Amino acid sequence: MSGGLRSPASAAISLAVPLVLVALTAAVGASGTPAFEETVTLILCNLVVVLGLQVFIGNSGVYSFGQLGFAASGGYVAALLSIPAAFAALQTPELPKLIADAQLSSLLSILIAAVASAMLAAAVGWPLMRTSTLAIPISTFAFLIVAYNVFANWDPVTGGSSGLVSIPRTTDVASAGIWAALAVVVTLVFKGSASGYRLQATREDEVAARSIGIGLMRERLIAFTISGMLCGIGGALEVHQSGVLSPDTFYFAASVTTITMLVVGGAGSVFGAVVGTLAVATVNELLRNFEEGAHVLGPVSIGETPGLAAIGLGLILLATMVALPQGLTGGREAGEIASSRRRLRSRAPSTPSAAKAANGAGPRPARGSAGSLRAEGISLAFSGLNVLREIELELSPGEALGLIGPNGAGKTTLVNVLSGFQAPDSGSVLLDGVDVTGWSPARLARAGLGRTFQAGLPFAGLTGMESVAVGAMGVGVGRRRAVEVAAGVLRRLGLSEQAQSPAGLQPPGSQRLLGIARALATGPRYLLLDEPAAGLNDEERRELVAILSGVVEDFGCAILLIEHDMNVVMDLCSRAQVLDGGGTVVVGSPEEVQAHPAVVEAYLGTSYAAGAHA
Amino acid sequence: MTDLAQSLIDALALGGLYALIAIGVTLVYTVMGMMNFAQGEFIMLPAYALYVLAGLPFAVAVGGALATGIGIAVLAERVAFRPVRNADLSAQLVTSLAVATVLQNVVSATVDARAQSVATPRVLSESSQIGALSVPNLEILTLVLTAVVLGALGWLLYRTRTGLEMRAAAENFEMARLLGVRANRVIAIAFAISGALAAIAGVLIVMQTGQVSPTMGLTPVLVGFIAVVIGGFGRIFGAVVGGLVLGALSSLLGAYLPDGLVPFRDAIVFSLPVAILIVRPQGLLGAATGEARI
Repeated sequence: MSGGLRSPASAAISLAVPLVLVALTAAVGASGTPAFEETVTLILCNLVVVLGLQVFIGNSGVYSFGQLGFAASGGYVAALLSIPAAFAALQTPELPKLIADAQLSSLLSILIAAVASAMLAAAVGWPLMRTSTLAIPISTFAFLIVAYNVFANWDPVTGGSSGLVSIPRTTDVASAGIWAALAVVVTLVFKGSASGYRLQATREDEVAARSIGIGLMRERLIAFTISGMLCGIGGALEVHQSGVLSPDTFYFAASVTTITMLVVGGAGSVFGAVVGTLAVATVNELLRNFEEGAHVLGPVSIGETPGLAAIGLGLILLATMVALPQGLTGGREAGEIASSRRRLRSRAPSTPSAAKAANGAGPRPARGSAGSLRAEGISLAFSGLNVLREIELELSPGEALGLIGPNGAGKTTLVNVLSGFQAPDSGSVLLDGVDVTGWSPARLARAGLGRTFQAGLPFAGLTGMESVAVGAMGVGVGRRRAVEVAAGVLRRLGLSEQAQSPAGLQPPGSQRLLGIARALATGPRYLLLDEPAAGLNDEERRELVAILSGVVEDFGCAILLIEHDMNVVMDLCSRAQVLDGGGTVVVGSPEEVQAHPAVVEAYLGTSYAAGAHA
Repeated sequence: MTDLAQSLIDALALGGLYALIAIGVTLVYTVMGMMNFAQGEFIMLPAYALYVLAGLPFAVAVGGALATGIGIAVLAERVAFRPVRNADLSAQLVTSLAVATVLQNVVSATVDARAQSVATPRVLSESSQIGALSVPNLEILTLVLTAVVLGALGWLLYRTRTGLEMRAAAENFEMARLLGVRANRVIAIAFAISGALAAIAGVLIVMQTGQVSPTMGLTPVLVGFIAVVIGGFGRIFGAVVGGLVLGALSSLLGAYLPDGLVPFRDAIVFSLPVAILIVRPQGLLGAATGEARI
């Protein structure tokens, strides 16, 4: 099945297994004693929060320690809106009368809590998502402490550190199960959406994600908001279960518990969130029985030991990180685990039906416009060292320009400047006459400028199909259309066979081609290829040349090709530009360049002369 | 005028304490790229050592606290952090969260989950007259200790072979290894120093508050994290500046905030640095990081 991101069977299993687990849990809970039923209900409420964590942490790969702050906000909103007016007057004297007297139904209070928490998450996330990947765990942790500080000290409105009581206890095991099932659906739908895929691409590689048009902060903020909403629902459900709420309910200990649940199951998948929640909750409940002093194995008894459950939790988390960092599920959905088993027995055949969405599939701009990609007087120095000096370069539509020169000549730096990863000290970049100097890589990608990387930078955890489709999604193509575009590109590059296996597990040659396919899927008018042939063997190199020679024609994009191998440049390019020491040595046809005395001396030397006869 | 001078000394003393915490966090970050949640527990456990050794002479109790801090840091590195040394930042962070949870709750289970009060030497709760100012002896001690620690650390890092190895490891760990730096030794030393710094901070905090609790490390570790972030990741000097900025902010807000807002001081103190990060994601002193991989 190369026609879709995931096969329908796999998707169905991925949805059905977690739902069945939730239903079974609720059924087991309903069949037990009232106390047991309450415990199971709380676990299901917890599951909603853990699924909320999965949306952000699982898809972005960045840990937030602040999501329990949104569970708290959801809990407070739901409690304050539903506490009977008489009790509200006693506990929260300065609460606005409208809210204090609201006495809303639990369902309505939960829905409002969801909206309020989502809004809070958007408002908090807007600045926090602007901090760096390194700083987000810390700034979200700071948010948790700030939220706690406010909830615990705003006595007249939140009841302060003593918290709130007399909250209607309406969450039962059935309603908690239904909400958990809904949360499973929401998390899976998000994960499979274009936005979810764009976020997963940033998790796999931030730099490559930016090169295909993905706005890092935007995608993170969307997931952060949805995560906040789900956590808010979980918090609201939980206070309607227990009937009480204190600031400590959703603080550090709860953060550790929910993160442990997510990590133990495997943060990368919704299945993992469900499995982890159930597994950790079970162990937790067993340990809690010991805490209260239980008789184990007849005469052996353990005294009352508070903190035992939390020690167990910490040890489980520690053991998971050391021995099984991807969690019990390996971060894979149920359907993926099932289908990888199947693949072991028979390789999935590629379907030619995808071929109809072939070459012209990309979002194609009108060709033949008078524009070009131009660099004018680009100069750049790194701590006094001139890396680029007054570089002029023009790449016209439909042409292939070779960029050659010895190591350290400034080739990659120039590509970084052209693609927005590096701002020049002076000079400007013009895209079809528009000055795009200082544009972000993502914006340039959306404007039609694609690039690849020397290091490849594959989205290792995504399949080949997904990594290419996300290229189209990155520039705003819808999910369905992106799949068609990707299928076409993959077929054109001869990659359909391996489309369903993870990009990180494919051979170097395929990974290199996947990088090119990913860039092509953005529908570029100008494609910058940074040493696509480096590290390939002779056969792979010939294959690559054959493929690239058709790209200009088939995809209608111009190519700037950085290459060491003069033969590759000769075969592919109509013009070549030689850099040395950050300046242009010569521009011209490959023959002219080859004959230029400075080139022969500075770059090609005798080794090329020998190579030319081969 | 004296009010202002008094506030400034308070600010400097709190800033010094925060700087000690931040340096501990930074040292570990520089040699193994890990933000260590358990640094808060490296502060909490020595504080409990003071509580447990309360009957003994104060100097012995402080010695016990130092030994506890160093011991637990080295032990945690060996048992928990070495296996995840090459994991990514998130995995290391979560691992340290697990260590923090275990240590916190071991104390809850063996001592008590509630806060316990600790007697402090009377001399530390008195003040000395310096000119027109009456400065609490604890603040003088904090300032002196901060200065001594900074001096000693400077000497270690820039005047000894071990310091050179640590700086080399901080620049490029793999290269340092190839050149013969013994990774295990350098990392263990970094943890030991970090544990000692945390123990000093823990003792100072107990002297200030007169009590210990299993979760007492939580706010300090956040202080350390934020100081490191606003100082620019992995820079000792940046951590000192970050600590001083946070301490000054907290102290001055405490002195000048309207009464109604005083309970929300922490909320304000922790919100402002995030504003710095939005304007300068690389921190106050950090250089913009290049795109090294492309």
